[in-house]
Amino acid sequence: MADIATAKPIEKRVVLDLDRCIGCKSCMAACFYGHKELHGVEFVDIGPALLPVVCRQCADPACVETCPAEAMVRDAEGVVARAMFHCRSCGSCVRACPFGVLSLQIVGHQIAKCDLCQDRLARGLEPRCVAVCPTRALRFATVAEIEADGLTILGGRVAGEHPIRRRL
Amino acid sequence: MSSSASSQSGRPPASRCLLCNVGCPVRVMRAGPDQYLPDYVPHAGYAGLCGRGSVLVELADHPDRLRDAHRHGSEGREVLDLRAAAAEMAEALRGTDSAAVIVDGNYDVDTLAAVGAFAKSVKAKWAVSVPPSDEALVRGLDSSGCRFIGPEALEQADAMLLIGDVFATHPVAAHWILEAKTRQPRMPMLVVAASAGVTADFASASFQAAPGAGLAAAVAAVRTGNASALGPRAKGLAAWKDQLKKAKQPVIVVAADAGRASVLALAAEVAGLARELQAAVCPLTTYGNAWGAVRAAAAGGAAGVEDILKDPPEALLVIGADVESALAPQAVASALGSVLTLVYIGPMPNRTSRRAGLVLPAAFAFEQSGRALLGPGREAAFEPLLAPPAGVPTVREILALVGGGAAKADLASPVAAATARANGEPKGEGLLLVLANDPVHFADGSLTREARWPQAVIPRPVLLLAEEDAEAAGLADGRRAIIQGPGGRAEVEVVTDAGQARGQARASAAFPAVRDVFGWKLGGPDAFEPVRVRVGKV
Repeated sequence: MADIATAKPIEKRVVLDLDRCIGCKSCMAACFYGHKELHGVEFVDIGPALLPVVCRQCADPACVETCPAEAMVRDAEGVVARAMFHCRSCGSCVRACPFGVLSLQIVGHQIAKCDLCQDRLARGLEPRCVAVCPTRALRFATVAEIEADGLTILGGRVAGEHPIRRRL
Repeated sequence: MSSSASSQSGRPPASRCLLCNVGCPVRVMRAGPDQYLPDYVPHAGYAGLCGRGSVLVELADHPDRLRDAHRHGSEGREVLDLRAAAAEMAEALRGTDSAAVIVDGNYDVDTLAAVGAFAKSVKAKWAVSVPPSDEALVRGLDSSGCRFIGPEALEQADAMLLIGDVFATHPVAAHWILEAKTRQPRMPMLVVAASAGVTADFASASFQAAPGAGLAAAVAAVRTGNASALGPRAKGLAAWKDQLKKAKQPVIVVAADAGRASVLALAAEVAGLARELQAAVCPLTTYGNAWGAVRAAAAGGAAGVEDILKDPPEALLVIGADVESALAPQAVASALGSVLTLVYIGPMPNRTSRRAGLVLPAAFAFEQSGRALLGPGREAAFEPLLAPPAGVPTVREILALVGGGAAKADLASPVAAATARANGEPKGEGLLLVLANDPVHFADGSLTREARWPQAVIPRPVLLLAEEDAEAAGLADGRRAIIQGPGGRAEVEVVTDAGQARGQARASAAFPAVRDVFGWKLGGPDAFEPVRVRVGKV
């Protein structure tokens, strides 16, 4: 486990291009099967659209700070992940997350937490949610890569002049 | 994945998802002993994978899979030797003058041809089971003379007319549509759909038509430039043809929605419009192999499923299909009740298998190699995604045990044109109800009916309603409601949906009780068409 203050900032994040998301839930299904049937990607209904919410891998993660069991950790690569066997399913991190990304899985008594598919990153592949997304709404990219497309990252999403303007 | 990423490897796709006719390449990775996961590795033709494709691996290892041949008798379940069971199956069919075989249309085309040859050898009628709207789309378009393309060619289009909520029913097709839109941000993207769903969100213009016959009427308005019959709301349709005409490579993308007669009428209108515009047509079907199944059935002299069930045979072999859940449950249950000897061959238990006296396990279509016809000119060879469980044979291997199993389907000839007059909206009071083929909750007799992923998301029948209609019925989001229709009643959960037009409703296709509300008669002119229903509190 790495200390939060010394872990290097994460370079690439999963970001959502709101203008491309068609709400197909392909990302949610891929995450479900890739993580022992825990939903690391949740969908929220914001009224005009149904959108996936993915962990933002905060630089100063409240979920890690609040976890009484040291189940939430930020590793040397800067990835915030959950140690399954430490998790007591107390829900502290769910309440602490300012973005509502975490959820309590009632059946498995576990917190579902995106770990950026570290097994795939080790193989040089993108996280599952990104790899399945048919419209490239989910991207695994650095800030510089996003900005090279004339877009900026706002929270977990991109914004800017966009070739596909979804009407919301 | 972008198109450039999709061609990272020059290798042909090893296996394909046939849960729709996009036909996405699929791979699996081993995660432990007897444990496999979908592997989302970009390779040739890969443009992503929707939730349905991810489910395939779970089905392969599903705890409810049929693994042994057995007989349901007065003394309960008796396990049989597979060879003996196959011989008993063949004997049951040979031993009567009235025998029939129904096979699911999503098996590879050569398996379908082998089933047809076997049926002839035992002097049985045979039929291929394909969703009625798919079959109508194929029969309406195949001989139309239109130029057809697959979804992967949509990237080159410079104007599109999308019919149906294409992004919801065929999510991966959205990949190429949005690629075209990225290249040409001003590309006209015109949408006609029964619900103002996610596809309409991306449209440059959209029109919400009534389900069933309303879609054909809307396309006719585009073709003729006369939308007066559809009311003032449809005024803009008259100008759509000009927008499409200006394009160099216009395309009409058509996804079969509800109905059979109305889909035939829609196909005729699409063909007419495509000829006038010299546009290509990209047909999208629910079954990946719908085109191959309809052509293989026609080439093999097959009858219609409903024709067989209307006059129930004494002995019936059903292969892979859940005819009771997928069509009109009440009518099919009545027909199956008249069958003296019912034999089922398939990978998973279902309502049909539970009625059968003799059951033989078989591999899924994706556990064997074969050919599929994803659309005209889109023949696709595929390899097994996984090997079937030990001791579980393929359908062709079972047929080989009784002297069949080898045949090659003739896919060269388009099926003869079929047309039907759309009956228009059903008269009467109440809401106009159609089945909702949700891309995630897709338990309508399809292969993924038993999977946990869709059930985890929506484990109950829902009714999509406009908020105003829900309020008028004293209902609200999440409340239980009763639908009362010509065939009976069903209890559902209300989901208010901004995309649903007033006066219309959609109910989950997954549940036989919901299908029974429609009261469809086999072979009737109104079969699979919308009906009027009343909705009220429980």
